Amino acid sequence: MILRRLDPWLSAAFAVVAVCSYLAQDSTAQALDSPAYSSRQLVWLLLGAATMVAVGFSDYRVWARLAPALYGLSLVVLLGMLVLAPVRAGARSWIGIGSFGGQPSELVRVVVILLVGLLAAEHRQRRSDLAGVLRLSAVVAAPMALIALQPDLGVALTFLPALLAALWLGGLPWRLWTALLLAALALAGAGWAWYLKPYQRERILTFLDSDRAPLAAGYQQRQSRIAVGAGGLTGRGLKSGTQSQLRFLPAQHTDFIFAVWAEETGFVGATLLLAAYAVLLIRLFLIALAARDRLGAVVAGCIGAWLSAQTVFNLAMVLGLAPTTGITLPLLSYGGSSILATSIALGLAQSVWRLRFANV
Amino acid sequence: MTLVRDDLRPVQRRTAILLVLCVAAFFALLARLWVLQVIQGDRWQKLAESNRLRRLPLEAPRGEITDVHGEPIVSNRPAFQLLLFPEEIRDQEESIRFLTNLGIADEAAVRERVARAMRTSHLPAVIADNLSWAQMAAVAAHRLEYRELEVHQTTRRSFPLGPAAAHLVGQLGEVGPEQLGRDDNLRPGQLVGRSGLEKTYQHILGGTMGNLVVMVDALGRQVSKLSEEKPLPGKPLRTSIDAAVQRAAAEAMTGQVGAVVALDPRSGAVRALLSYPAFDPERFAGFLEPAYWRQLVADPLHPLTNRAVQALYPPGSTIKPLLAAGALADGSRAPGDSVYCTGQVQIYGHPYRCWRASGHGRVDVEAAIEMSCDSYFYYLARDVGLERLTAWMRTFGLGRPTGIDLPGEAAGLVPSDEWSRRVRGQKWYAGETISVGIGQGPILATPIQLAVAYAALVNGGFLVRPHLVPAAAQPPRPTGLPATALARVQAGMLKVVHGERGTARRLAAQAPPIMAGKTGTTQVVRKREGVRWQDLPWEQRHHALFVGYAPAERPEIVVAVVVEHGGEGGSVAAPIAGKVLAAALGGAAEGLTPAGMSEEAGEPPSLPPAEMVGGRQE
Repeated sequence: MILRRLDPWLSAAFAVVAVCSYLAQDSTAQALDSPAYSSRQLVWLLLGAATMVAVGFSDYRVWARLAPALYGLSLVVLLGMLVLAPVRAGARSWIGIGSFGGQPSELVRVVVILLVGLLAAEHRQRRSDLAGVLRLSAVVAAPMALIALQPDLGVALTFLPALLAALWLGGLPWRLWTALLLAALALAGAGWAWYLKPYQRERILTFLDSDRAPLAAGYQQRQSRIAVGAGGLTGRGLKSGTQSQLRFLPAQHTDFIFAVWAEETGFVGATLLLAAYAVLLIRLFLIALAARDRLGAVVAGCIGAWLSAQTVFNLAMVLGLAPTTGITLPLLSYGGSSILATSIALGLAQSVWRLRFANV
Repeated sequence: MTLVRDDLRPVQRRTAILLVLCVAAFFALLARLWVLQVIQGDRWQKLAESNRLRRLPLEAPRGEITDVHGEPIVSNRPAFQLLLFPEEIRDQEESIRFLTNLGIADEAAVRERVARAMRTSHLPAVIADNLSWAQMAAVAAHRLEYRELEVHQTTRRSFPLGPAAAHLVGQLGEVGPEQLGRDDNLRPGQLVGRSGLEKTYQHILGGTMGNLVVMVDALGRQVSKLSEEKPLPGKPLRTSIDAAVQRAAAEAMTGQVGAVVALDPRSGAVRALLSYPAFDPERFAGFLEPAYWRQLVADPLHPLTNRAVQALYPPGSTIKPLLAAGALADGSRAPGDSVYCTGQVQIYGHPYRCWRASGHGRVDVEAAIEMSCDSYFYYLARDVGLERLTAWMRTFGLGRPTGIDLPGEAAGLVPSDEWSRRVRGQKWYAGETISVGIGQGPILATPIQLAVAYAALVNGGFLVRPHLVPAAAQPPRPTGLPATALARVQAGMLKVVHGERGTARRLAAQAPPIMAGKTGTTQVVRKREGVRWQDLPWEQRHHALFVGYAPAERPEIVVAVVVEHGGEGGSVAAPIAGKVLAAALGGAAEGLTPAGMSEEAGEPPSLPPAEMVGGRQE
């Protein structure tokens, strides 16, 4: 069968995560009394699977050549949104026509990864120099800044892993890493002082000291930990977790969806999902290792780094190991744009895998 | 097309490092998952439980208190209270503001209640009661903002007799912290008996709290009921009180300051127990307004004092029948012994005046009681001395609590030389004994003590234990007083009402039952010659006393009446006693208004020696 040309492990992992995603959304849809959530998620997951296969059978090198044009288009869209998009939940991050709509920033990230891969691949044998670093940084920073202005800090932050991975895979020398680290620290300090809103600072402080304001900012993390812990070994049964069903769990269909799954399916179910994610991410890196060219290796590696970072950070947040940042869990969290973007990225990796042998 | 394969080894090396990092991160997440779910699972499950479960206290309705015929003295009516779940408070200041705006109390009081609720944060506390519909609507409208608040249906005391039963029933008050620690059935904010029957019989009336465990969602809305432990309502309490008698006493005492006690001399069963002025018991049925409390405490008439068992009065002439019985019993006086009253007696070189300046002429014991002749009792006191006098008083139960089933009873005062040296730091003067002989000076009794003493006079000489609930009764204790002595004294007391010169003969006109008794008028300040008591300022007027009983031949009811600064016992206290006795025996008390009574019918105050300056002694 023709599908065999794709990576079966990646496809299987996608399928497992998608099933878990639907079940978890089905449960939280009941809790939130919005049955449409689970059916829409199902549609997006099926669409995502189709997209992954379709992109998998395309040529990632063609997409890379289109990347500069797509990138320019992305910047135009993001700029336009700052002016035109309606404010929803305090941010201009969503556009739509009628009931169809989405967050373009999710798709922009894929375009940025393609362009970053293209640039990193151009270095060929040479190691990245300062000019290369600046070029890569500028490419990532422009859309990141536009998204941060929406303001959607969570999504903006997910661009960072891609940039770092590109620099890393591009072969940035150590002294530049050190300089970059110092710059990042300075930027973080400046961001703390001028950019972060008081509630965002409070979240970070809450994470560092969990006893701080247990009823205010710490509430989400505490409820999340209770939900996960209460799941025990085998869970409380689908749609039977009291933390989610009685809505103690905040943002349960988006940021904290993993807590719903962990509460209702316990350590067994959570480990299964964790394993599926591990397989999916490991396969992305293995695809990068198997890539025929630098472009494929960097693109697959960047996709792997981005999805790993987002997954690990979200899970760390749900499990109380990281502050609440509004980072969603790829494929599991509710949202069509995110699923579509993730599927396109996985499809690119599938393409890299399918074309891993030279002269195909 | 010739393809130059890239040298991918550096990229692959770095990709492998990312892979290792990613796998390491996943192992860390897995370890965390293991800790949370498998090792600490039980603990988090408990937290999840307490998250969703709310324990609602179900207040036990207090038991009804009824009179001897089953008529309610205190009953319950539905009411709504506001519960505060301290653990659910998100912003304490915001909640306090809301509660204050709700109008349940002023800000300081609300702040204090919330602070107290926080101290036992695992339990909900009653933060307000007797909510109006508007207040309930306001709480319901802000349900989402203040999920720590919950309106709860409960019951509230209601008082069919109003202030007439205030002291008898007593006040409810919030349970104090020390009591809370002793009794697991109590919880913060709960009301318990603080005085009166409510306090004495808290263990019967109080009942046992129930529990309702409900599942709530994150907004505090009840999702389902998980378990319910029904409260055990307090048991009803049937008292010996006769509501009709209590009402009659209250009506007769309208506008007066003092006390009425009516009891059955055969058993000690109390039929009426009234103290005026009273407080409004409705306002003590829930959270007490501090302003009302301050007003009561500051009131110079002490409306919170239960005068029937707590106020001490010099018994005045009402002591005379007791002393007469004692003297006849031990032979200090024979029934025929008489003295000649000239209106003044010289003892120890001092003049002691009888209340009737023109004198009573020759009086024996019956006549001395009938006319309340002071001279007779001056001589008796002189002849027997303080020890015998006080021994007789103690025989009738004076000087110690009667043991009535009400809290805070006063013991009264029966003086002695030892007492004088210890308390006053001076020896007892023989002249004082003469005053004590007419119930003046350092001799103090409560109205309930007087009623019990008279019960012994008319029930064949038995000291009963007064009680409001049959279970508190005790067998009467014999005093050993011979029936002949008691009969002679009773004959005297009958003449007080029915004799030609009786100090309460105005009551003779009253329809049956035939009543008897003894008047008393105790002076508050030294008498001024030529000033009628009606012309004195209120607080300088004499206390008017009457202790009576009926029917005279076979007494079924004894009543003691004290009207502070009322004037004369015969004209003020006796008619009140008459109405109460009539109500108790089912008769109508007609024509018993003080108006139109002749001056002579009343008895001016007994007089202590001229050099003694009387004073209100409470």
